[in-house]
Order: sequence, then structure tokens, then C-alpha cells
Amino acid sequence: MRIQFKIEGGLVYLPGLNRPVIIDLADLPLPEADELQELLTLTRFFDLPSRAGKFSAKAADHRQYKITVENAEGDSHTILLTDVVDDPNLRRLLAFLKKKAALATKKK
Amino acid sequence: MCQRIDHRRSIFCILPPYMLSKISQNGTPQQRAKALTTMSTDSTLRAMRLAQVPLRAPSVLTRGMPVEGQKQRTIYTAHHTVELPGNLIRKEGAPPCGDAAADEAYDALGATFDFYWDIYDRNSIDDEGTHMKATVHFDKDYNNAFWDGQAMVFGDGDGDIFNRFTLSLDVIGHELTHGVVGDEAQLQYFHQSGALNESVSDVFGSLVKQYLLKQTADKADWLIGAGLLTSRIKGVALRSMKAPGTAFDDSLLGKDPQPAHMKNFVRTFDDNGGVHINSGIPNHAFYLAATSLGGHAWEKTGRIWYEALRDKQVRPNTGFQRFAKITLRNASRLYGTSSVEAKAVREAWNQVGIKTS
Repeated sequence: MRIQFKIEGGLVYLPGLNRPVIIDLADLPLPEADELQELLTLTRFFDLPSRAGKFSAKAADHRQYKITVENAEGDSHTILLTDVVDDPNLRRLLAFLKKKAALATKKK
Repeated sequence: MCQRIDHRRSIFCILPPYMLSKISQNGTPQQRAKALTTMSTDSTLRAMRLAQVPLRAPSVLTRGMPVEGQKQRTIYTAHHTVELPGNLIRKEGAPPCGDAAADEAYDALGATFDFYWDIYDRNSIDDEGTHMKATVHFDKDYNNAFWDGQAMVFGDGDGDIFNRFTLSLDVIGHELTHGVVGDEAQLQYFHQSGALNESVSDVFGSLVKQYLLKQTADKADWLIGAGLLTSRIKGVALRSMKAPGTAFDDSLLGKDPQPAHMKNFVRTFDDNGGVHINSGIPNHAFYLAATSLGGHAWEKTGRIWYEALRDKQVRPNTGFQRFAKITLRNASRLYGTSSVEAKAVREAWNQVGIKTS
């Protein structure tokens, strides 16, 4: 299973950070892979609507997160999230992916 | 003009000012009193019309009874979660709470309120004295600040790329101005109208800082977010109005993508259609007009941009050229068609590749 995670929007456009982070479950340490698999199951990711979280037409500089999950069968599903999400499992999934993305873009 | 006055004197509504003046001098005591009242109301409405102050409905005027010029700030902390608004940490009139981010947000909201009130007689975000709310310590290592449609939200940065966002007064002024733009113009947040929304927020964010520091246009740094990038990043700020495209050039972040001229306009679907990219063009036009006129940028160029923002001709999908023409029309209205101010505005837009005629 492969997850593509991309941060969009924000107060400033940073070209170097405007690329998706790819996470392959097969490459993760087992506890992390299990946690991510569990979160995808708990959120029923493939049944989620294409947009989740609180969107306001008057908002500005807000971030959005594009998550695409591709399973072993080749099916894929994409959702767009904001920072403020009600579902605690979806919130945990977003926090997990944000942490992974932050590590991937850490200044060397 | 007369229809919104509760106790109008219908006869005086059709009388020209010179006749009212004559009645006020030569009429009976009762006629004189009525004429003076009408003249007073009439001149106020004429002034409001000239300044394009929207006439509020009576129900709005009496709502909430805000006190003019009295700021009301409320600061919350999210305790590094994504819960909004979080817990109250400092409210209006309370002494510093010792939380640096909360106290910075409180002070910067105050400076922004004072700027709008002192310079443009604007009573808070909605010009009706609305409470200003901000949440600090949003999420963990959060590299952003945003306007959620009702309040400002600030992250602490990750300490690796960004410092905490409350360090920057112009960024806080920028976020609050998004509220002002939403109240006045409802510019759609994508493509050119979104870039204009961003630019107006940068313009007044920068002016808030310049006003606090009492800087003239030639002394201002014209940077947005100076000090927000850590020392590990090669860059001085998030954006430069003076030299768009030069704020950062770093191995991790890449190069500042802002253009300063329409010939370099970036067509993209990223960043809501380049709202933080192409805003460099109107940003630079403002800088050029302000430095051409000299002195304090908030006095003339800022006034022109503010009146343009409030102009009824600004529509949700207004792009650069339409806004440029509106700024020129307001410069002409305020200072005269042949004035140096109108000329400076016309030439500034021309220099960034936008024709106003």
C-alpha cells in the first residue's frame, strides 16, 4: 500500500516543499506500518468523501492536505483535508502523515 | 439620499444647499431650526458619499453597541492541539500573561487596530467594533499562520525552517486584513482575485509595521515576515514588496517565485492559482507608487488603496487591471485627475505591466 501526502496552501508558497511525500507501508518499520494500516482501517479511508474538515469561504492562508492511498489491488482514493478535522481517527491519520512529511523535509 | 433619514423634512430634501442657507439666515425661528438640522444632515451624507462610507441599515447601527475606537482583543491557546479556539489566555485589559506568543499576538492586534482606527477611522475588522480573536500555539511544529474566516491562528513554527509566527507584526496585520478584505470586497481566493486579496493583506500588513515604527517609504524594509525564517535558511523574509522574487533562495525551500511584472505572471493551479506568487505584481505597484510619492506610505498611497478596496466597483472576481483602474479613479477623486498622486499610481501600475487607460 502506498500513500501520497501533499501539503497545499499556507501563508507563503515554498517551491521546494511543494512536492508530495510518498510513504510505502512496506518501507516502514513494523510498528509504524501497523499503526498506519490501523488508521486507514479505522477511518474507512476508501469510503471518505473527497473533502473533509472545516472549510470557510472567507478563510485565507489556510493549509490543505491532499492524501491519496493506493492499495495492493491498484485501487486509489484521494481526499482533501483542512487542519481542523472533527473525526478523531482522521485527525490521528493527519497527524501521523504531517509528522512523516516534516521528517522528510527536515533541513539537512 | 434622504430615504434613510428617520425624521426627514421632505421639502428640504429637494432644496439645493444655497436655498437652505438662505432659509437658515432669513426664515422664522422654526424654519431656521429645521433648515440648520437639514443642512447638518445633508453635509454629513455628502461627506460620507464622497468618502464612500457605506450607509448601514439602522438594525446594523444599533447592533451590539460597540464603542468607537475601543479595541477588544481575546487571545486563546490551542496548547499545541488543533482545537479551535482553545483556552482563553489573555483578554482585553489584562496584563501580559508571560506567554510570549500570546503577548505578541495581543500587542500586534492592538497595533493593527490602532493603525486602522487612527489612519482610516476604521473600527476593527468590520468597522463595527467587532472583537478580534486569535489562537496561538496551534498544532505541533506548525509552520503557518492563517485567517479561518473569523479569527487568526498562529503556529509556533518547527524551529528548523520557521520561528513562531507571532514574531512578525506585518504577518499579524496581514492576517487581520484578510478579515477586512472579507468584510469589504469578498475577493475570491483563487487566481488574480485571490492574488489581489493576498496583496492587499501584504500592503496593509506592511503599513501597520511602518506606522508603528513611524517609517517613511524610503526607510521601510517592505518585507513580509522578516525574522520568521530561522538562521538555517537562506532568506530574509517570506516576500519582498520592494524586490519580489528575492526574499529567499534556499536549498530546501527553493527560490522565491514571486514575479514583479506581468510579463512573468505565473499560470499555475498550485497555491490556489498562485495567490501567494502573483501577488508580487500588485505588491510591487504599491511599493513603486509609495516610494514615488515619498513620506509616510499610509497617508496617500495607503489611503488610495484603502478607498479602492472599499469601492463598490470591486467585485469578487476583480483582477489586477480592474483594481488598478479603481485605484487610479480613487487617486483622481481624492487628489485630482492631474495630481502627482494620480500620476504616481498610473506610472506604478504601468511599470509592472498593467495599463490603466
